Amino acid sequence: MTESANCKSFGEDCLRTKPVRAGRGTIWAACGVVCLLGLSGLLNSAPALGQTHPATAKSGAAKAAAKPVVPAEVVKALGDKNAPVTMEIFSDYQCPSCRILYEQTLRPMITDYVASGKVYLVHHDSPLGMHKYSGQAARWVTAAAVIRKYPEVEAALYDNQDAWQANGEMEKFVEAAVGQADFKRMQKIMEGCMAPDAPQMGGPPGAQGCGVDPAIEKDIALAKQVPITATPTYIFIYKGKSYPAASGIVSWPLLKQFIDQLLSQ
Amino acid sequence: MSSATSAKNRRVALLIGRVILAGIFLFAAYAKLRPQIPDTPWSAAAIKTSLSFFAMEVNSFQLLSDSQVSFVAHTLPFAELMLGLWLLSGWQLPFSGAAASALLAGLFGVMVRTYVRGLEINCGCFGPGERLGIGSLLRDASMLAFALAVTAVAFVSRPESGSTAGAETESRETA
Repeated sequence: MTESANCKSFGEDCLRTKPVRAGRGTIWAACGVVCLLGLSGLLNSAPALGQTHPATAKSGAAKAAAKPVVPAEVVKALGDKNAPVTMEIFSDYQCPSCRILYEQTLRPMITDYVASGKVYLVHHDSPLGMHKYSGQAARWVTAAAVIRKYPEVEAALYDNQDAWQANGEMEKFVEAAVGQADFKRMQKIMEGCMAPDAPQMGGPPGAQGCGVDPAIEKDIALAKQVPITATPTYIFIYKGKSYPAASGIVSWPLLKQFIDQLLSQ
Repeated sequence: MSSATSAKNRRVALLIGRVILAGIFLFAAYAKLRPQIPDTPWSAAAIKTSLSFFAMEVNSFQLLSDSQVSFVAHTLPFAELMLGLWLLSGWQLPFSGAAASALLAGLFGVMVRTYVRGLEINCGCFGPGERLGIGSLLRDASMLAFALAVTAVAFVSRPESGSTAGAETESRETA
């Protein structure tokens, strides 16, 4: 499999910073880039560009420690995109009701209806301003989604909510969920995201250097559009049409009853 | 003459009052039973889905067990529909008014309890999408006060009990 083939479909391989064998095309491309930079008088700033632009990084600089690129669209979803029912959830990882909904309702739904292709479950981050570490938790989950470890990290953060919400120390739970190697990849993605200025609902935008913040801000913008005033809030989409937003905890048997009814229409 | 006028005014006020009250209950039932997705035709399946959706909203109050929630969600809209029609008919208005007041008082109590607990959920009073908050509490309190007023006036101006009592007094005096 070639490097370009790996990156056509977004996945783990695209994020690896392995050295690239320089073929003829690559050499010509590198020469072109160098010439262009020289002509425009930007030769001095080339290292900085190389760190941020993936093509430049590949073209000879071969920076093994380069920061992985976070795609514009980070999907935090489970199941088949073409499932008849889509459930979009706006939640906050520090909100107790969101944890209860996840533990008691979404977990059985994931193992049953999401696994069987009946429901496509989409998560949107809505970190509330009242929760100090919810923005940072959203960042870790988004970073996990970039390396396709979103379900593991989401489960770990909800399972250990009581433990990390006191001091914001959630890294050990994330590491335990994904393993050391993947955690290191996530740490690279999270470079520049350690500041306490994580994006939150009604708050200022996140840190400039944090690669995952645009994805969270996109979710927050969508939440404002709905509008979301509390978490958890969920919206069902069936045959392209949306049900009104509903909030709060719902039990799995009643949610199942509703989905079954929807599917029988 | 003046008592006849005041009786007539009371009858008109009662008529307006019960029509408004009936309208509230009929609209509440309609909002819960109608297909929740716009442009969806009415059908038995669509009504069942709406009731299942309403059950989830009742569930979010965290007050009843799943089976109780299901029972309430599948009967309350029809109870509201029947009550609305009963109020509209004007038959036994004091009792239909009392039933309406009792139902509104019960729902208001549940709403206050939920609000005090700090649950940020949908009210579900007039269909989905409405937040439970000060606005919905004030509205329901006003409706309860209105229903109580209609019921009180209806009891006071019961024609048959008033005339019978008067006739009995008259016959005793004659004897």
